[in-house]
Amino acid sequence: MLRIVIAEDAAVIRAGLSEVLADRGHEVIAAVGDAEALKAAVAEHKPDVAIIDVRMPPDQTDEGLRAAIAIRREHPATSILVFSQYVETRYAADLLRMRPGHGAGGVGYLLKDRVANVGEFTDAIARVAAGGTALDPEVVTGMLNGARHASTLATLTGRERDVLALMAEGRSNTAVAERLVVSERAVEKHISNIFSKLGLPPSDSDHRRVLAVLAYLGS
Amino acid sequence: MAGVTSSPLRRALVAPFTRRAWAELWYALVSFPLAVGAFAFSLVTLHNGIFLAGSAPALRRLGSANRYLVRRILAEDIPAPPPLRPYSVAHVRTPDADRLAALARAEGARVKQRGNRVTIGKLPANRIAELAADEHIVIHALNPGNKVGWYRGASRDPYTWKARGYFGMKPVIASIHLVVAVGFRLAGLFYLTYPLWQEFAGAGPGLGTGHPVPLAASFLFVPLGAALLLAAPWLTHGVSELDLMFVRAFLGPASDPAALAERVKNLEQARAHVVDDSAARLRSIERDLHDGAQAQLVALAMKLGLAKEKLEPSAPPDLTRIAQLVDDAHLSAIEAIAELRTLARGIHPAVLDNGLTDALTTLAARSGVPVELIADIPERPSAAIETIAYFSAAELLANVAKHSGARHATLEAVHVPGLLRIRVTDDGHGGASAAPGGGLRGLAERARTVDGRLDIDSPPGGPTVVTVELPSHA
Repeated sequence: MLRIVIAEDAAVIRAGLSEVLADRGHEVIAAVGDAEALKAAVAEHKPDVAIIDVRMPPDQTDEGLRAAIAIRREHPATSILVFSQYVETRYAADLLRMRPGHGAGGVGYLLKDRVANVGEFTDAIARVAAGGTALDPEVVTGMLNGARHASTLATLTGRERDVLALMAEGRSNTAVAERLVVSERAVEKHISNIFSKLGLPPSDSDHRRVLAVLAYLGS
Repeated sequence: MAGVTSSPLRRALVAPFTRRAWAELWYALVSFPLAVGAFAFSLVTLHNGIFLAGSAPALRRLGSANRYLVRRILAEDIPAPPPLRPYSVAHVRTPDADRLAALARAEGARVKQRGNRVTIGKLPANRIAELAADEHIVIHALNPGNKVGWYRGASRDPYTWKARGYFGMKPVIASIHLVVAVGFRLAGLFYLTYPLWQEFAGAGPGLGTGHPVPLAASFLFVPLGAALLLAAPWLTHGVSELDLMFVRAFLGPASDPAALAERVKNLEQARAHVVDDSAARLRSIERDLHDGAQAQLVALAMKLGLAKEKLEPSAPPDLTRIAQLVDDAHLSAIEAIAELRTLARGIHPAVLDNGLTDALTTLAARSGVPVELIADIPERPSAAIETIAYFSAAELLANVAKHSGARHATLEAVHVPGLLRIRVTDDGHGGASAAPGGGLRGLAERARTVDGRLDIDSPPGGPTVVTVELPSHA
């Protein structure tokens, strides 16, 4: 059971989120409608996870994201799942740029469509709460396409790109292997190929690998 | 003006063969029949009454034919004068008859006043409405004559009179033009070759003497021929310039640089507003979608997602819970539909397709405050004007319901030739103003984009009268 704070200005979605989370046995300790209330709620309750809509009053631009960054700084133990209506790769890059320290919570960025898919949504929350990463496949695609190192990425094979995209979403090797219907060995081989092509030293941590890749893509 | 490099002699010799000289010769030839025809027409129609008015469009068309020749042949683009405007004799009923009469007189109108009725001639109806609105004069009735107004307008149209004047003297200019352009050239050629005519054709009249001249003497005519040939292009050019001057003055628009500059400034402001306004509208549509239908659909999907999971065969289905989730989803779907419908109506009300009267009837019926509708729209204004009028009426009625505290309102929509007027009157507590950023200011600016206007008369304590006036065509 996780203790969760929700920040979302549309009451219907707020209610829907609370319902889904309650259904999964999580405790929604606060559901607020703007960034200031969110920061106050996080400071007061120190939740495990904060689920944050990017666009909130008063300006309806990226208040949620800025609040998320502030929370990351002031309450690093709180995991953050940000979601928005449209793909904004900059937001994802901003979020991932905040390098978590030791014992920090995870971060995730989903589209609202994904939030509407109950299974994927609760999955993402679980991953983020465990200190991992959850990125929307569309966000990952956007980042891959918009990457400055497009020429380097072009050297990857199609399969390697698939693996990279799934890794970027925060999937484990096992999950990637399952998704692509290949053996875990094969996935490991692909990953080491990707790292060598991108010039990144291999690392043992799933999460750090994803961050390394994304830092490379987004920076 | 003589160039240093080209000697006057050289220029004089080349002049007859320049492209410009040929163009002016051609113009003299082509415009002559037009001159004769137009002269006859303007003379024949110079009758008081229906001929005078009825001939106005044709005379203006003759004028534009002449401008066309000038443009095609002489490459001088003279803009068309403003279109024929029906000048109405308007019958106005107003408690402020004295003030309105004085104002109209100051505008150069012909004014007759009897009690609270003023008859105003020579002033377009929308200008009268403007005057009244500027001075906060309440007009109860403004009835511009329709057909009569058109005939009066046509028979007094200054541009038609100017065209008539131009074509009245055009035959003189055109004749001189033809003589110098064609006659001089032919005569020049004739005299230049006079000795040949003398020698081979037998005889020729010697400068009108009627007697043949001796061969030796006939050579005396050669320099005369050369002089005529050389002079022809210069004289033709001079007459062309003179004609151009008249065309500009009589067939072109009256130019008033200050008024033009003012107009440009207004149009620039209006354009800036249109751009901002449409951007703001798109933004607000996006926001409405985001906060409304999209949010509803996300919630709907979440509830259906939960319900779907509950139906999976792994556990016994909790039917009560599922029924409740599906019920919630159903409600969300219905709300999303309603949101989308409202939004679509905000973008373009479908009811407007049937005309403004139908649309306003619906609007009045939907209003929160009882609204009496007085609509008199015999002819439909252009679509853009209808849309602006509709949204203005919608906003004004919404204001009445929200802010005025009124118990009753009247919505008037009157379309007379050239002018559509929307007026909302309520018995509320008044005090409405076009404060910056407010809805009324927005309406005023939207009206201004099509050269319309908005006027507010809302003393504290009421009643409030807001009038939007729009031209029939944007």
